[in-house]
Amino acid sequence: MPFTDIAVAVQISFTYFTIIYLTGLGGLFSERSGIVNIGLEGLMIVGTVSGAFGARFFTDTLELGQPWGPLLGLLLGALFGALFAGVHAVATVTFRIDHIVSGVVINLVAVGLARFLSYAFFDGQSTQSDPGGPHLDRLDIPGLSSLPGGIGRAFSGLSPVVLIAALMVVPAWYALNRLRWGLRLRSCGENPEAARSLGVSVPRYRYQGVMLSGALAGMSGAFLASEVIGNWREGQTLGLGFISLAALILSNWNPVRLMFFAWLFGFAVAIPLRLNDAPVISALPPQFIRMIPYVVTIVAIAGFVGRVRPPAAAGRAYEGGGGS
Amino acid sequence: MPTESKAAPASLAARPQWFEGFVGQFLALLGSLAIAVILGSILIVAYGESPLEVYSSILEASLGTVDGIGYVLAIATPLIFSALAVAVCFKGGMFNIGVEGQYLVAMVTAAWAALELGFLPGPLLVTAVLAAAMLGGMVWAAIPAILKVKTGAHEVVTTIMLNGIAVSLLAWAINFPLRIGERPGGQNVDLRTDQFPDGALIGDIGEFFGVTPGAHLSWLLFLAIAAAVLVWFLIRRMRLGYEARAVGSSPGSAKAGGISIGATQLKLFLISGALAGLVGMQQILADKGHLPQNYIVALGFTGIAVAFLGQNNPIGIVFAAILWGILSRGEVALQIQSEVPREFIIILQGILILSVVITYQIAKRRLAARQLQRAGEAGALEDSAAPEESSEPREPAHEGTEAFQPTNERDG
Repeated sequence: MPFTDIAVAVQISFTYFTIIYLTGLGGLFSERSGIVNIGLEGLMIVGTVSGAFGARFFTDTLELGQPWGPLLGLLLGALFGALFAGVHAVATVTFRIDHIVSGVVINLVAVGLARFLSYAFFDGQSTQSDPGGPHLDRLDIPGLSSLPGGIGRAFSGLSPVVLIAALMVVPAWYALNRLRWGLRLRSCGENPEAARSLGVSVPRYRYQGVMLSGALAGMSGAFLASEVIGNWREGQTLGLGFISLAALILSNWNPVRLMFFAWLFGFAVAIPLRLNDAPVISALPPQFIRMIPYVVTIVAIAGFVGRVRPPAAAGRAYEGGGGS
Repeated sequence: MPTESKAAPASLAARPQWFEGFVGQFLALLGSLAIAVILGSILIVAYGESPLEVYSSILEASLGTVDGIGYVLAIATPLIFSALAVAVCFKGGMFNIGVEGQYLVAMVTAAWAALELGFLPGPLLVTAVLAAAMLGGMVWAAIPAILKVKTGAHEVVTTIMLNGIAVSLLAWAINFPLRIGERPGGQNVDLRTDQFPDGALIGDIGEFFGVTPGAHLSWLLFLAIAAAVLVWFLIRRMRLGYEARAVGSSPGSAKAGGISIGATQLKLFLISGALAGLVGMQQILADKGHLPQNYIVALGFTGIAVAFLGQNNPIGIVFAAILWGILSRGEVALQIQSEVPREFIIILQGILILSVVITYQIAKRRLAARQLQRAGEAGALEDSAAPEESSEPREPAHEGTEAFQPTNERDG
């Protein structure tokens, strides 16, 4: 197989890295605050439909053009994701429902909500929007994109959001480890009783963590729909929210390590899309190649899960009151 | 309530616990139905229609005619199996989100049995096909169960991934080993399996009740109800059910009591998989007669919703599945008779699940608080120096009402 195919696969893996990293980072803020969020997939779904609509609405209807239209579209996806995550926050923080139960309900309701929203957004089309929506101008990363031997192909024609997501690690790490806000958020996830005794309002931080996870997952969904695919289609998230969750677990809830695992899973997703004529892989029927990302996820989870430590209080209902 | 008038005032103990639990559950369901109907009405008014007309057209389409009832019951049939599969795992504090994948794999194994074992006489063939379906579901459910017991991989992540794999597996099966044979005249358009022999199909019972054959109401409905009774018996009367409830509510005490947590979880997952295997049978054995490419999806996910709605109680699940069928059938009425888009039903179903989950949680907490209070009163009679209960008690493991949420291992 030609070498450029590998470069193209790497380029695709960067795109899926972006989706998995943004969503995983969202899950990280939620779980670090003590709220398990398996509703990431559902939050992404709501992000896809509202993001695809937003990109069109701001770019074409309001005629804001590049780059503001697509960017505001991404932010609309984030806004809807955050609002929908609010339901998860109300259920788990205020009503103290089991986090897994609430997360499953979020995923169930998201499918219907997306269909309902798309009916309102796209003139009664409930399962997909017209293709070819606006997206940000593609970017060649200076220097890297001119590497010889076809390698440069991996770094050219990328959406600017890929770069934004990769750079997100800096503020995420800084906020969690150096800001008072991050330390308090983590204390709510590790030992809410102690946090409360120090005057930290556990519910407030948990609300913030969950809403932030919704915003990031929603933006990730919006990126998938408007930047990667170009239109909204029902079921286009393909379990990427759960793959993000797996990457988050393997990263030990660490934003820096999450980058590596997000890229690894991103590459696994890219294999069936681009490397299906590579030496060993091409011997498989196409249906089996499509299983690769899921198999990789299962193997990784089964192999590593004993070696990571989730936030101590994640998944536990906090019975205390509002704090100070 | 008549029992209340006989009881002495302020004596809560006069009401039996199970009765209180039952009434509590019923009121919670009624309350959440009311919330869903009210929120739905607001949405209908926003579309400029009359809520009364929309709701009555939904009921008319589903329960107004014999055919409508037939359709509702046919929709409910696979949902009963799928919700039971979810509930069995839930009792053990586990989440089987993989019903979706399990029934897809089961449809493949059932189709294989129907096509390969055609030499068997009628009743034997259909039995073999159903057994193959259950076996297929069990195999697919065994994978996450073994991974959970051996490595601690959470079943929610692994079952979701297995769902994705099952979709491709089914696609591969109808593309290669089970692909429809060559037809003369190039009429080989559809991607599907060959038509199953008649002996493998499940008989229509609609004709006995005057239901149109189009509803595909089959005797699988009775099998589903029998399965619900069996699951009830398993959970309430058998040793495994007791162990499941112990593991689900307090793994620590279950272990101390000599219960093997891993073995219990594995058994529950296998039973769940067997039930999941039957989910697709209505579709391929009662309706289509072959395994098509455009099979109905999401029956497994809907099963989770139905299990929540039925509060993981097998009998409640049967009614919840029927309620779900009424709403789904109502979509047709909306499409024909109203400006409200059919997606409204999905939103209504979503609101219903959310309010059911939250209302149950509140009802359960109040019930638990009341039971603690009663225990405190009883204690105070014996020993007036009994310690005061804290104002916000931890929930007792499972008393009176069905434990709705699994108190899993992280819950300290």
